[in-house]
Amino acid sequence: MKKVNHMIEVSHISKDFVAPKKYPGLRGAVKGLFSAEKVIKTAVDDISFSIDTGEIVGYIGSNGAGKSTTIKMMTGILVPTKGTCTVAGINPSRSRKENAQNIGVVFGQRTQLWWDLPLSESFTILKEIYNVSDTAYAEQMEFLNRVLALQDFFDRPVRTLSLGQRMRADLGAALLHNPKVLYLDEPTIGLDLVVKDNIRKAIKEINEKYQTTVILTTHDIGDIEELCSRIMIIDEGRKIYDGSLCELKDTYGTKRKVSMEVKQPEKIKGLCLHELLGVQEAECSMALNLENSTLSVTFDKHKLQVPQLLSAVMAVAEVKDIQIQETELAEIVKEIYNHGVGGAA
Amino acid sequence: MRKGLRIYLPFAANELKRQLAYKGAFYLFILVHLFGSFISYYLWIAIYGSSEKEVIGGLTQSEMVVYVFMVYVTASIVTASISTIVSDDVVKGTVAMNLIKPIDYRLSLIAMASGNMVYRFLVPSVLIWIGLEIYKIKVLGLAPVSIAGIFLYLVSCVMSFLIYVLFDFCFGMLAFFTTYIFGMRMAKEALLGFLTGQLIPISFFPAAMQRVFDFLPFSSIVYTPVMIYLGKYTGETLVFMMLRQAAWVVFLYVAGSLIWRQVTKRLVVLGG
Repeated sequence: MKKVNHMIEVSHISKDFVAPKKYPGLRGAVKGLFSAEKVIKTAVDDISFSIDTGEIVGYIGSNGAGKSTTIKMMTGILVPTKGTCTVAGINPSRSRKENAQNIGVVFGQRTQLWWDLPLSESFTILKEIYNVSDTAYAEQMEFLNRVLALQDFFDRPVRTLSLGQRMRADLGAALLHNPKVLYLDEPTIGLDLVVKDNIRKAIKEINEKYQTTVILTTHDIGDIEELCSRIMIIDEGRKIYDGSLCELKDTYGTKRKVSMEVKQPEKIKGLCLHELLGVQEAECSMALNLENSTLSVTFDKHKLQVPQLLSAVMAVAEVKDIQIQETELAEIVKEIYNHGVGGAA
Repeated sequence: MRKGLRIYLPFAANELKRQLAYKGAFYLFILVHLFGSFISYYLWIAIYGSSEKEVIGGLTQSEMVVYVFMVYVTASIVTASISTIVSDDVVKGTVAMNLIKPIDYRLSLIAMASGNMVYRFLVPSVLIWIGLEIYKIKVLGLAPVSIAGIFLYLVSCVMSFLIYVLFDFCFGMLAFFTTYIFGMRMAKEALLGFLTGQLIPISFFPAAMQRVFDFLPFSSIVYTPVMIYLGKYTGETLVFMMLRQAAWVVFLYVAGSLIWRQVTKRLVVLGG
């Protein structure tokens, strides 16, 4: 038997979607009836990565970047056009059912629960489907009740649950058979802060307790910051970043901003900070607001230190108050979405 | 096998419960279809009344009455449509939620259809069936159906159900290519009305067309079980007809598997 080195191995995976070509207008619609022209859209383009057991990986990208498509290929729902993918040593699209036994999936925008039935019945059905033994079921339910508090609405029909309750229930349902890999596709979409926090805590606890490998797509940077040690960024079907969160912040979040409230703003007007400190203008730019007498300086944290800057300013004017801001992850990600990796540097 | 039952039985039970939740729509459905049966009943009475022959298309007037209502009973048990579920799953993208589970999509659909079948059997069909038997004995003066007849009819019905569901699954697969199959479903219903013998017994068609029908699975869906119920098939013919049904079950099962394999290769999941 082949040794499983990584929990998930994806190599050179691509997915094309073929759609009939559409023409604009009524004439176009008629023309479309007779035309057999096809348009090929590449949703995922030659992506490779591997994920180890117990990792929590944030998989992010703008809308339509190909996140869900990749997840669907890893769950065996979609067959890749090119490339291969193995999850726990199994090819998901070739042995979908076998693979399904190993994975748990939450698609935040859908539910896998039985809409018209009480939640308890959905769990009973899932217990049968995944062939969970009575003792394992009891144990897992105890755990899920503790972290997700499912008992509060366990007897209610799924359609009467609030979004937050439904999401907790869905997460519980995905975990009932204690999967090796958990795919979470926007698990916190539309949730309030408290519920979000609970969901994150639950994910963390599950990961710690069972060494479950978690792949998480989200648009909520908070999810990433709290959960993921590693992130992958994908744009237009291509992987553009893969590495640790700290590294991303270090590489791309090099800008720091210092705001100083000064006593005599007029004195600073003529100040030319970058020349004074001997750096390029791009590495240290300043903006002076005379109305509230605030000077804000944005600088490269690898080139300059805060004390250097402070002493330079304090040499000409008295500083009353000071605030230092790191570039937030959200800013970095936004930059990357807008310009690609090059633009963010 | 027992494990399979444990997995798929909840799907059937769930469908039964769901049907119970939408009672109003269901009774309306029964009413509309029963109304149709009465129309054809009066039509046939008129046809037999104005005809000089006692037997038309191999059926006497009394047998025709039984035929019309047994067609209703059979069709409502057998034709539990799953193509609607398939196209809904495709259009809304919920098919993904079925595919992440270690279950066979088609078997889960068949389980759902069988839940529906049980419900339809228990609620309108059995009552109308009993009513028809009483009418048949008291008014038409025919002999009651034998236990063996009921047994053969029910076995044939189970196969009809499988033929219909497996065919409907193949048909529903069209949704993966066209996304929306409402129009085609309408066409299918209309065509099946003819081809299954629901509107007119197959024996009324010209001989050449009947031969064509022999090569289609549809007459096996309604016509065959009703003819078995009427006792029109005996001995070798009976065996042949039931074997033909079984052959269709096997054929459509294999065809469905092949189509499903092709479809999953080019599956597109809609809605993100």
